[in-house]
Amino acid sequence: MTKKRIESFFAPILMFLLIFTGWEIIVRTLKIPKWLLPMPSEIFKSMVVNFPAFWPHILMTIETVLLGFIIAVPIGILLASLITSFKVVNAALSPYVTFLVMVPLISLVPLLMLFMGYGMNVRVVTVIIQSFAVVNMNACTGFNNVPILRQELMQSLGASRLESYRRVILPTAASDIFTGVRLAGIFATTGCISAEYVGGNMGLGSQIIKYSQFLKTTESFACIFYVTIVGLMMYWLISFAQKKIISWKI
Amino acid sequence: MEELGKKTLQEPRIKFENVSKIFETRSQEIVAVKDYSMEVLTGEFVSIIGPSGCGKSTLIRMLDGIIKPTEGNIYLDGNQVNEEGKMPKETLRKMGFIFQQPNLLPWYTVRENVALPLRVFGLSGETWEKRVDELLELVGLSKSGQLFPYEISGGMLQRAGVVRAMVHDPEILLMDEPFGALDELTREQLNMELLEIWKETKKTIIFITHNVEEAVLLSSRIYVMGTQPGRLVSTVNIDLPRPRSLKMITQPEFIGYKQKLTKLIGDLDLSKIK
Repeated sequence: MTKKRIESFFAPILMFLLIFTGWEIIVRTLKIPKWLLPMPSEIFKSMVVNFPAFWPHILMTIETVLLGFIIAVPIGILLASLITSFKVVNAALSPYVTFLVMVPLISLVPLLMLFMGYGMNVRVVTVIIQSFAVVNMNACTGFNNVPILRQELMQSLGASRLESYRRVILPTAASDIFTGVRLAGIFATTGCISAEYVGGNMGLGSQIIKYSQFLKTTESFACIFYVTIVGLMMYWLISFAQKKIISWKI
Repeated sequence: MEELGKKTLQEPRIKFENVSKIFETRSQEIVAVKDYSMEVLTGEFVSIIGPSGCGKSTLIRMLDGIIKPTEGNIYLDGNQVNEEGKMPKETLRKMGFIFQQPNLLPWYTVRENVALPLRVFGLSGETWEKRVDELLELVGLSKSGQLFPYEISGGMLQRAGVVRAMVHDPEILLMDEPFGALDELTREQLNMELLEIWKETKKTIIFITHNVEEAVLLSSRIYVMGTQPGRLVSTVNIDLPRPRSLKMITQPEFIGYKQKLTKLIGDLDLSKIK
């Protein structure tokens, strides 16, 4: 391993240890009660001991995030392709996409629940709404920034629209699209937790709220940590896909 | 019979007939090219020279179906090519366009980039694949075929750009200041390679440049354009012997042509100031 790689591998671990040791020491010396701020050691213990109780909720959250994310990404890219190809579609849809990005999702969830009940559907829909818009906006930027010379090259070869799209437009926009997809991975997780928070009794979000209502702060924190792990997994998964797909340098 | 033969020989390969192009922006109309006429015969090497903004790049883009002229007609082998709609692939196949920058696609290897026109024109088979390798060899890129564009030098990139325009065996090459972005030495070298290719393949070449020396060295005829609006100002025939070489640059006839053209372009600038 090179020096740089050692640094990038050990620096976050060291920071992790520093933060949690500091936290542990502060809580112990100040004798902060458990229901206010539990010690990290207790949180980690709860993560292990109560794992059987958490597991169905972890699974449910992962399922919702993945399902919503997998539906949202193609919708975002497809819509961006249409928006940037046809002025009419752009004029018709852009305000609503912006609206969906701007509106606080938490205010939409109760309405959605009114329409769809408390099941998994409503949570998946929330994840889709929360994450497709960032994919869409970043993909639009990518599609709009295709250098004219590249378009002219395809024109000089008489390429069809689809051919230009496949060979030039999509690969040119790929890195911008991935910026959107990365953000969507984060938004999907937060969107899912918000939906679980508001209603229902499944998923990590519902558990966070349940445990904190009973002042079981340790368990609540354990669930928050599991959410973090789910979010990190999404992030790594997307980074991995990006490295596999964009193998070239500009 | 002889008369007939002579006539077909003189039939221009490319003909611009009173071509104008007006670009409409939100606030005004910009006349990029006004009333431009030109005839190029098969196998000729002609240059179009002029200051930036004279519409010289627009001209070859109109010929290659990238831009439609506002007025006038363009003929290729006697057929009008500026009708409404997309130019058919059979017509486009007769031409190869070389851009100011290499304009290679970063996600394809050098070889894939050079072979791109074959894929889009739907030309497949062993003969064509062999042609890709031959062209790579011609410009010294046979070992770099599997590399990606970011891995090779600027001169090599532009060489790949040149052979990409030749891979589908077009009879006409349209070159838009192809070596303008390169350093002087590489540029001279590529100009000589280009003359070699032209001599071997007998292509018809329209070369866009703003470099007088380059234009005199390469062309049989130079069209001088002025700006605002972009228009043809003068046509200069270059009667220097072929093959041309870099040694000629210091000969009196060469310098004579160079001075004549520099004066023509200089007068343009003066008239603009007045």
